[in-house]
Amino acid sequence: MSFSFMGKHEGSHPEENKSRTNKLAIEDASVPKIMVFPVSMHIGAPAKSVVEVGDKVKAGQLIAEAGGFVSANIYASVSGEVIALEKRPIVGGESDCIIVKNDYNYTKAELLVEPGNSQNMSKDDILGTVRKAGIAGMGGATFPTSVKLSPPPGMTVDTLVINGAECEPYSTSDHRVMVEHPDEIVKGINLSRKLFPLLKHIYIGIEDNKPDAIKALENASADYDDISVRPLKTMYPRGSEKNLIKSVTGREVPPGGLPAAVRCVVLNTSTIRSCYRACEFGEPLIERVVSVSGTPIKNPKNLRVKIGTPMDSLIEDCGGFIEVPGKILGGGPFMGKAISDLGVPIIKGTTAITVLTPEEANIGDEQDCIMCAECIHVCPVSLQPILISDAFERGNIEKAEKLGAMDCIECGNCSFICPSKIPLLENIRSAKAAIKQKEEG
Amino acid sequence: MAQAIDIKGKLRVGPSPHIRSKRTSAWVMDQVIIAMIPPAVAATFFFGWWVLGMIVIGITTAVASEFIYQKLTYKPIKIHDHSAALTGFLIALSLPVTAPIWMIMFGSAFAIIIVKQMSGGIGKNYINPAVAGRVATKAFFTPWLANWVLPAGFFGSGYRGVDAVSTATPLEYIGDGARTVAEEVPGLFDLFMGFNLGGNIGETSKFAILIGMLYLIFRRVINPKIPVLYILTTVVVMGLWTGFNFDFMMTHALTGTLFFGATYMATDYSSGSLTPEGKTVFAIGCGVLTAFFRITLDHPGGVGYAILIMNVLAPFIDNKLMPRIYGHKMRPQVSFNRQSENTI
Repeated sequence: MSFSFMGKHEGSHPEENKSRTNKLAIEDASVPKIMVFPVSMHIGAPAKSVVEVGDKVKAGQLIAEAGGFVSANIYASVSGEVIALEKRPIVGGESDCIIVKNDYNYTKAELLVEPGNSQNMSKDDILGTVRKAGIAGMGGATFPTSVKLSPPPGMTVDTLVINGAECEPYSTSDHRVMVEHPDEIVKGINLSRKLFPLLKHIYIGIEDNKPDAIKALENASADYDDISVRPLKTMYPRGSEKNLIKSVTGREVPPGGLPAAVRCVVLNTSTIRSCYRACEFGEPLIERVVSVSGTPIKNPKNLRVKIGTPMDSLIEDCGGFIEVPGKILGGGPFMGKAISDLGVPIIKGTTAITVLTPEEANIGDEQDCIMCAECIHVCPVSLQPILISDAFERGNIEKAEKLGAMDCIECGNCSFICPSKIPLLENIRSAKAAIKQKEEG
Repeated sequence: MAQAIDIKGKLRVGPSPHIRSKRTSAWVMDQVIIAMIPPAVAATFFFGWWVLGMIVIGITTAVASEFIYQKLTYKPIKIHDHSAALTGFLIALSLPVTAPIWMIMFGSAFAIIIVKQMSGGIGKNYINPAVAGRVATKAFFTPWLANWVLPAGFFGSGYRGVDAVSTATPLEYIGDGARTVAEEVPGLFDLFMGFNLGGNIGETSKFAILIGMLYLIFRRVINPKIPVLYILTTVVVMGLWTGFNFDFMMTHALTGTLFFGATYMATDYSSGSLTPEGKTVFAIGCGVLTAFFRITLDHPGGVGYAILIMNVLAPFIDNKLMPRIYGHKMRPQVSFNRQSENTI
């Protein structure tokens, strides 16, 4: 239990619940008959389907192409036949989906680039390959990586931060990738040097609850003086982009600005690894590691999953449920999204499936605020959540805005910590929506 | 196998975050009540079995007042948040053993009805109910309250301490412009332990209060900087006043309501400061004012007045010391008082 004399923690210390899976090697998930590929599995414009019902597709074949600059290509992860194009529930909503019936032949499509040549690629080759591979932020935010790697003109990047914090309870997918593939992460970092000629600092930020990952990356990066592995004190939300930048560089991203505004680019560990694999092996993003954990899961696991695999197949790989689940989340318990249907597929940003018992997912009855100020102490961006929530409930949107509602990163710490179980984040989200609506007139 | 347990229709959805800390508001109140047990035990040991009667009367009156008020005003009954019980306990501990029963009842009812409920209930009161109840009692009924007795033990004190010997509070010797410690004041060890010391029953043993304070800090219910800065500031101001007469400074630290108020009253959430820096200013302000009143007044009560004044100033302090938001250059330029903000 940490403790600060000034009473400002800028984070919370939830139970980590990582011990079920943090020592387990990554295993291959089984691949089901029916695969579901949402055309909207990234931030930005949905991709446009380039296949029709009845088309035969190969594993690694482009099935939907980026629908704009901020968008990403989508590839089939198995070979088979397109049997439907329809709307389906996905994590966090609904999307048009391409449904592929797996023929279990795994016929391979043409590679993105000639393999084994990544060392000789130019800046444009690398950027082009990352874009072509459909890579989007694999830490959960799913922002198209090629866009992130091309900062707006006039902005120079001198610092690359690799995000291995993995601060969400239960989640261990990045942890295992760091332990098992540290060399690929470091090779990815070395590739990215070509993109940022003015690069001075490279930090790999890892929470200190993962000593084996810290060690693995220290060893893998031992030959490079400018790469420093930064152990970070474990605290939620250490891995939020803004807080990570502050933790390792001391810089603060201006309101509404990009990390590039403070000369930083932040990439998740799995994302940089995928960039390397795209350039070195010509692989599009069709696979990722997902940790499946929680009290109701019989055998929690870290699984190497083909994107598009419906969640029920993963639950089955883990031996099913040993008790009735109360909530099933795509992601961790703080920022993950609850699903009501296990048919939703794993997408590029699905770091984990977290299953909670009804008791663990119990919110409790809302009580009056006792002004304990805990929400203020744990807010990573120094907001006063109770005041914003209160202003919103009183209908005073203007004050909610002046109190900084738009700066909220929606980490959920305020709602988590509140002893009176006030839905602070929900109210702040509503305030943000009202502010946006007001601005749009 | 996966579907051996049928999950259809059983899954909850709803927005993130999906987990909550185990701490509840009632748990927080319970911790403060637990932290008041050491001074209550010390009080019973020193001032006799009637202390237990006072505590029962204080708690019962406070809870009953809240219940009746909420019934009469058609409000939801909220006595199960344990905050009324806490206030009643606090009132009982801050009266002398000689206090008549009706006075304990008056203090508790005043605190709950006039101060807490009429401000809008839990979390809405500007000023600390227990402090206000205690100051009001003192203002109205001083003759009964200034009747300090020396402790005579569990059986020796009798009902309302009638068998005990009257005494004066040490504050009367070291306040009102004094710069040295008078002969009549007990030694520092006696002041710390509460031996041979008259006063409000919960306040005499600083040792017992210190246990309670450490418990609350350890449980992360109170911010340690409030009691620490409060007591330290009073001591430092007394040092400046006397050219750092160590004996005088320590005697002030260990006399009167300072320890008790700094631990159980200045740390009250709803009447104190909300912001981290506001809490610092609040605690230092309490310390400066307490020292000022002790130097200038010819009667005890400095701690109560100091906390009440800082209670009233707290919303203003908070508005000026709102935390600077990440990425911004200035603090938010807006005022917002939870207790008095209008609905649009």
